Amino acid sequence: MRFTGRFALGVAVIGVPLVLALLGPLFAGDPGPRATSFTLGDGHWLGTDFVGRDVWQQVLHGGRPVVVTALAATALAYAVALPLGLLSALTHRRWLEELLMRPLDVLLAVPSLLLILLVASVFEPGAVGLALLVAAVNIPDAARIVRAAAAEAAARPAVEALRMQGETWWRMAVGYVGRATLRTLAADAGVRLTGVLYLVATAAFLGVGVAPDAADWAVMVDRNRIGLAVQPWAVVVPALLIIALTTGSNLLFDAALDQRGTAASSHRSTDKERRP
Amino acid sequence: MTQELNRVDPVAQIANLRVEIDGRAIVDGVNLRVLPGRVTALVGASGSGKTTTGLALLGEYPSGARVTGDVRVPEGGLVGYVPQHPAAVLNPARRVCALLNDIARTQVRHLPRRERRAATRELLLRALADAQLPDAEALLRRFPHQLSGGQQQRVVLAQALLLGARVIVADEPTTGQDALTKSRIVDQLSAVAAKGIAVVLLSHDLDVVRALADDVLVMRAGQVVESGPPERLWLAPRHEWTRRLLDARAPGPQHEPPPIAAQAVLHVRDMTARHRDGDRGTTVAVRVPELTVQAGECLAVVGRSGSGKTTLARCLAGLHRDHSGEILLDGRPLPHSLRQRDRDQLAAVQYVFQDARAAFDDYRPVLDQVARTAVRLRGADAETAEAEALATLTRLGLPEELASRRPARLSGGELQRAALARALLAQPRVLLCDEITSGLDTVTRRGLLDVLAGLLRDRDDLSLVLITHDLDTARLAHRIAVLDAGELVEQGPAPRVLTEPRHPFTVSLMETTARLAAGT
Repeated sequence: MRFTGRFALGVAVIGVPLVLALLGPLFAGDPGPRATSFTLGDGHWLGTDFVGRDVWQQVLHGGRPVVVTALAATALAYAVALPLGLLSALTHRRWLEELLMRPLDVLLAVPSLLLILLVASVFEPGAVGLALLVAAVNIPDAARIVRAAAAEAAARPAVEALRMQGETWWRMAVGYVGRATLRTLAADAGVRLTGVLYLVATAAFLGVGVAPDAADWAVMVDRNRIGLAVQPWAVVVPALLIIALTTGSNLLFDAALDQRGTAASSHRSTDKERRP
Repeated sequence: MTQELNRVDPVAQIANLRVEIDGRAIVDGVNLRVLPGRVTALVGASGSGKTTTGLALLGEYPSGARVTGDVRVPEGGLVGYVPQHPAAVLNPARRVCALLNDIARTQVRHLPRRERRAATRELLLRALADAQLPDAEALLRRFPHQLSGGQQQRVVLAQALLLGARVIVADEPTTGQDALTKSRIVDQLSAVAAKGIAVVLLSHDLDVVRALADDVLVMRAGQVVESGPPERLWLAPRHEWTRRLLDARAPGPQHEPPPIAAQAVLHVRDMTARHRDGDRGTTVAVRVPELTVQAGECLAVVGRSGSGKTTLARCLAGLHRDHSGEILLDGRPLPHSLRQRDRDQLAAVQYVFQDARAAFDDYRPVLDQVARTAVRLRGADAETAEAEALATLTRLGLPEELASRRPARLSGGELQRAALARALLAQPRVLLCDEITSGLDTVTRRGLLDVLAGLLRDRDDLSLVLITHDLDTARLAHRIAVLDAGELVEQGPAPRVLTEPRHPFTVSLMETTARLAAGT
């Protein structure tokens, strides 16, 4: 089956960076003494970085901040966007809908990276601050998508039938509308996670939310750039891991959605035996 | 078939067609000869294989199907298709003229470049005229959503005619249409046939089939059980199934007199319902000066599509808030929106939706969804509610084995019974049924009408309001109210309205129905 094939590919591509990021610090062990900057060999099988630290050690340590920040930011964005979107889709009060959605439109108009840099120049946020910031810039889009998808489902007779049954808001909003929009939202979450990873990595690359010599894949790419010609692994390995993380998450969401799609409707893969 | 007909060459032919999905035959050994200028009708209950056979003429099969047999279509394979929901095949972003131009352009390639434009235009106008669309100039500038359902259907027909299709497959063209629209569709299809084009009609609307078809094939479970000209079929059906199908046409009228000295359960006073109409403010959808529903009676609200009958029912149910005037339940005013109605008021007025499939949650078993009514509106605990739901469903002809399935695995008729059960569990005083039989085949429809009649008999306190465009369904009622263009034009006891209608609109509605039924 080609769907399981795609699924396996997605798992394999995302698995490597995810396992490294989450379990890496456990196996990193003792950092050991520093060596000369940008050298290869000599017990360091990926060489040393710009201050002479072991690159493999850094790779093992550097994934967790990126992955955890991205996942936390995505989760946080949805935690705010879901109730906002569902509430404004299910209400019949126009003013409430305006009140919930209009302020977000203002935020939507500001470029996200600009906003992050602006806030960072004033507050100097840490990792938590970065996650909050990235979540905040993602809330407007996410809320709009939730509302648009939910508004379509909320207009179906099924919701009116639930109202006639005197059903609770929770059952209508989460039990029916949420369930019916799950496919759209899962697709959006996949794209959004990629965008958030990109944003987190870019912010770290620009030095927002992390120390300049922190063990962080994005920081590694930035700091070791100068030695790219001498010792490429210090840039290439963390860069590849970030790419694998974003590509893998997209592949995985695609494959998961395809499988749901085939489960829901009969699939069109089988060919007609003959066309008279 | 007579000797003379056998001499005419068929434009399309199906021989011994068998379509199988997962080892189950949907169509089994069907033979069909489509003759030019004649209307061939395939009739049968939903799921009998009509549509699969019709689509086979287009070379379309359900996905994953195993097909054996022989399908011959005219040279070039030009077969037109008019689907049940024409809006789905018209690009909503393009005007009618653009949609038709795309096809017409391919027909004028042989002409010199500067003559093409005029030739295209002429082709367009001729196709529209052939499809019985008057006022073509204005229509060409509109978008599909600005057309009525009937007009959309005719635009699709015009597309097929432009292509030069010699066979046109019309899939349930009259389903859900009122009698006046139906008779127009009959005229339009017979005009197409008169031009020497073969029409294949897939329908469960027997009145239309009788009025239109030259040849009828009765299908059941994928097989043709009987075929012949409609006159012979109607007078002397040979197969048991044909007899049942034709017999199902006439539902038994309600002979019992309406309950005497009954008290008004629902009383509508000076109600005017509005629709918000974009930026242009509001339009009045329906105006009802006075309407009552007595306890234990069945009231039918009859009218064409767009006459405001659904809006009226939605106002009563609290689903349409934008109205003025009063709705009294037992003399006490009901809040306009169901959000403001308390539990007893909600339970007292229940609503059954036209499209049962859309009114159920796809992801939960039907039984669970039905049982929730008892939990929410009568405060029953989950177990009692489920037992009650099961009892009600079984009484309406839906055994546990079916009820525990998800909606996707039930048929339209079964779902409509489940929807009725869901409303009945609230023990309503008034049950509003919005076109619940339209879109069902005759056998299923009669089954559902029998259920309704049974409800009226068994429960003295239950009042039914039937919203319908179908006068056969309205015969079930004690009283009939007729709506036209949002105005209540006539109301009175059913026998009186049906036999001696007073308002001109009611008269024309009766005449068209009678004309269709007589098969002329």
